Amino acid sequence: MKTLMRFVGTLVAMLALVGLVTVGVTRLKAADEAKPSAVAGVASATVDSHAHGVDGHAHAAGGKDILREIGLRYLTAYMFCLSICVGALFLVFIHHLFDASWSVPVRRVAEQMSSLLFPWMLVLLVPILALQKWIYPWLSINPAEDHSLEVKRALFNQPTFNLLLPLIVASWGLIAHTFRKWSVAQDKDGSAIWTRRARVLAAVGIFYFAFSLTLGCFYLMKSLQHQFFSTMYGVYYFAGSVWTALITIWVVVLWLKLKGPLSQVVSKRQIQDLGVWFFAFTVFYAYIHFSQYFLIWNAAIPEETFWYVNREQGGWKWVGFTILFGHFFVPFLVLLNQDVKMNPAIMVPMCGWAWLMHFVDMTFNIMPTYGPLAQGPQVSFWDPLFWFGMLAFLGFMFMKNFRSAAPYPLRDPRLKEAVTHHEVPGPGAAAHH
Amino acid sequence: MSSSVSRPHGLLAEFETPADVMNAAIRCRDAGFTKWDVYTPFPIHGMDDAMGVKKSQVGWFTFVGGVTGFTTGMTMIWFMNKFDYPLVVGGKPLFTPLYAFPVSYELTILLGAFATLFGMLFLNRLPKFYNPLLKVERFKRASDDRFFVCIEATDPKYASEATRQFLADECHAAAIEYVEE
Repeated sequence: MKTLMRFVGTLVAMLALVGLVTVGVTRLKAADEAKPSAVAGVASATVDSHAHGVDGHAHAAGGKDILREIGLRYLTAYMFCLSICVGALFLVFIHHLFDASWSVPVRRVAEQMSSLLFPWMLVLLVPILALQKWIYPWLSINPAEDHSLEVKRALFNQPTFNLLLPLIVASWGLIAHTFRKWSVAQDKDGSAIWTRRARVLAAVGIFYFAFSLTLGCFYLMKSLQHQFFSTMYGVYYFAGSVWTALITIWVVVLWLKLKGPLSQVVSKRQIQDLGVWFFAFTVFYAYIHFSQYFLIWNAAIPEETFWYVNREQGGWKWVGFTILFGHFFVPFLVLLNQDVKMNPAIMVPMCGWAWLMHFVDMTFNIMPTYGPLAQGPQVSFWDPLFWFGMLAFLGFMFMKNFRSAAPYPLRDPRLKEAVTHHEVPGPGAAAHH
Repeated sequence: MSSSVSRPHGLLAEFETPADVMNAAIRCRDAGFTKWDVYTPFPIHGMDDAMGVKKSQVGWFTFVGGVTGFTTGMTMIWFMNKFDYPLVVGGKPLFTPLYAFPVSYELTILLGAFATLFGMLFLNRLPKFYNPLLKVERFKRASDDRFFVCIEATDPKYASEATRQFLADECHAAAIEYVEE
């Protein structure tokens, strides 16, 4: 086990080094050449052909196309990992809000997972802030020349962006760490005061969480095309996030149950309920994404439709269909049967599938802005490098976190209720009493 | 009561705690009875397994109801808007699954819910207008503080004396009563 950890650690360190060196070299190269790239100009112009006379930034990014590509691909991986962390944080919120008992044995997993928000998701945000000029074209546009930016200037300006975005990510980390701290404190004294405190924090925090998550993904993802309007964009990201986090926790919990730490406390009930919840969010995600599409389609206002029109060009159309069928119909039909939700032979591959689909979904949101749209989605070696690299790093940190405290809330007042076995002996077992 | 010969309904066994009735249910299950039931004032977790009740089939009714609702919605809108009386609304196509979806979705839920409700009633053979157990005085406490097992006379394994013995000795019933039809 230790050898494996060391191996993963080394691998992550090497990947990070390779990444850093590559970024450094390309940055130097790009600075050297500083060529007025015609390709970049065309690419960006296609994306923004809908926009009202905006094309200044296309030249601002000229010659730095590789940095833009790296930035956007990094952002895709970052949004994926952020999903799992905020999704786990949401589960902690919900646990306390509903005073749930069934989820007590699996809560520590969610607490540790969401604790990755600080410092790691904040640290991983640094490259995005460093490359912001290349990732977010609106930062280089003069608001006086762009009406849609002008009206959104209160939020979409560089100082606010650089102040709020790190603050938002840090604040989620703070909330996650507070939940974890109280939960661990309860392991020691068993006092119900920690449960009550967490309940108050959850009740107040859920509102903050909803607003800040919306704002956070407006900044991180939606502002890639700042002309776009969609008030449900935050919910859309949220739905996909919780979906991905749930199946991840399903697999992690099963693994921890088989490996030992949770074998005494996790039973059929927890596994099934996590599966049921994953199923519910399959439907919820589809409901939300369909609603966003349908409202935009029905109203047919150019300021909104361009976002989807962009994503129907070239191969992007098929990516959209992949999301429709792969993100909804396949998991929905597979999970319809009750027993499937407890069957590792289906749920573990489903986790891989859900990860792939969520990554495709993030790509669908981010990469069409890189263009040219007619070319459709382009896969590059950066994708697996950032995606797996970040996941491996966060996975390693999760395991480290997980060891730092008990594997489940040892003295939660509801633990007994949650672990009471309602399972009865099968036929024949009761013959002798 | 009429003058006809009374037929047996079964044997009713009373228990004082959920644990007792749970154990009794396990024994009845293992003894191979098929026509019997447990009556409790509140749901007892794990009773389904203790009784050996199989997974409910009601989901199939829901599925069929849902699929019916969805196809009804789609075909209805296609028929009305594209086939029977073509009408352009808001510059949209005459038919597309997009705007037919909300209605189909609602019909999926509506017919799915109806099918669930009526499927449940059908599988439970409800409504049932007469149950001999309601004549039994002690059975009133089934909605208060007592737990009951009733093995019906129609069960192939039912044998008046042997079953009474079984309920008394193996299930440790607090009281046993013979119930007429």
